[in-house]
Amino acid sequence: MFASDLEGLTMLAESLGADLVITPQCPVANDDPSGVADAWSTASTSALDSWRARAASGASASSVIVAVWPNEHAALPLAEMSSGEFARRLEWPFAAWYAALGAASSRCADGGAIVAVIERPPPLDAAGWATESGLADAVEAMVRSLARSEGHRGVRVNAVTTPTRVAPSDPIAPLPSLSTFPGRLDGEVSDAVTMLIGPGISGITGTVVHADCGRSWR
Amino acid sequence: MTPPVILITGASGGVGRGIAHACGTSGWTVWIAARRRLEGEQVASEVTAAGGEGHFVICDASDADDVERAVQEVVATSGRLDGVVLNATSGSSPKPVVFIDVAMADVEDHVAVSLRGMHHLVRSTHEHLRATQGSMVVLTSEAGFEGKAKLSVYAAIKAAQRGIVRSLAREWGPEGIRINCVAPLASTPAMERAFEMDPAMAARVLGRNPLGRMGDPATDVGPIVRFLLSSDARYLTGNTLMADGGSCPIS
Repeated sequence: MFASDLEGLTMLAESLGADLVITPQCPVANDDPSGVADAWSTASTSALDSWRARAASGASASSVIVAVWPNEHAALPLAEMSSGEFARRLEWPFAAWYAALGAASSRCADGGAIVAVIERPPPLDAAGWATESGLADAVEAMVRSLARSEGHRGVRVNAVTTPTRVAPSDPIAPLPSLSTFPGRLDGEVSDAVTMLIGPGISGITGTVVHADCGRSWR
Repeated sequence: MTPPVILITGASGGVGRGIAHACGTSGWTVWIAARRRLEGEQVASEVTAAGGEGHFVICDASDADDVERAVQEVVATSGRLDGVVLNATSGSSPKPVVFIDVAMADVEDHVAVSLRGMHHLVRSTHEHLRATQGSMVVLTSEAGFEGKAKLSVYAAIKAAQRGIVRSLAREWGPEGIRINCVAPLASTPAMERAFEMDPAMAARVLGRNPLGRMGDPATDVGPIVRFLLSSDARYLTGNTLMADGGSCPIS
């Protein structure tokens, strides 16, 4: 599993029994209001390229899980967001997801499965989470692109979404279908990933499963 | 009723030019924001010739100061801003690359124009759109729904824009500002370059199009964007209209 160095994702790896490979840390400091130069410096992009090359060269695996999540943020209207925060929440994670999914495609054996675990605010709860919504949709498109390019060797690529860190404490009505909303990484999310890498779904690729207890309909 | 004042980024050619023409024929004041002065001024002249009021302002969509200056010039000259069209996109968009071979430095140009540029435009126009109860339209793509094996960065960028729009519709709705997307399929210089780089692409694109032709930027796509910017669409926000002849299998 390629994942950010976050406690919840470590728990997810443990619940899946996956070997964990930590993805690079965002180079933009939390208190930097500009930050764009740090996110896209030659050193930063070269580091991502180098990490991808190293991560891609390991032993192949029948299934690879990817979860590149930024550090936790608070909801914030996009018009009030600094360039630095935008770079931390969307620009750099976009590139890091690209590197990690690229490495995953190299490590995944023919006939294997790749699953992206995406943080996604449900549409009803999306206000204040424009960068997270944008990143989630971007990764869903990456998953579909990879499903297309890797399908010829039997590799399936799918995604699981979860709002565990971005769910509101007081959701807009109607309430989520299941009282367990927003779910847990080592519970509902782990179950959905297990399903997607397991047997019996050989024809499923390029799909997105919302493990959010019935909060998203598509 | 006073004709709307709108700003279109990346409008020196292609779909942006078509949108400018469509709005010009309705007598709107249309600001062409682009890096290419000669071509941009030409489009502004075409808008005026079509019955509107065309203006040009030089603008690099990826530069925050440039975007802010352009928006200030529009408001200082025309008095207000009713609509904004985010159309600028990276020149790398039609360049085919295999997923694993994409260099991170090349990703930045896409991000700078289409995502950072969107953030700049949102910040610079928010107050003006609130003052007019205005509207923003973002040009996305069917690629953002489906993904593309060889245009995966472009597909992801266009998907990201839709996700941002989904959130902004909820942030801006209570303030009376609407925001929507249009996913066009049209004959443009960028599309022609994509066909040149991938000769099989033309057959793929047209082969699944039930209307059997590429759209025209001015007569097929432009009127749809004009509708979204107009008061006729005052109850429509957070949506994506597919202006693609039924090409994308999303319904």
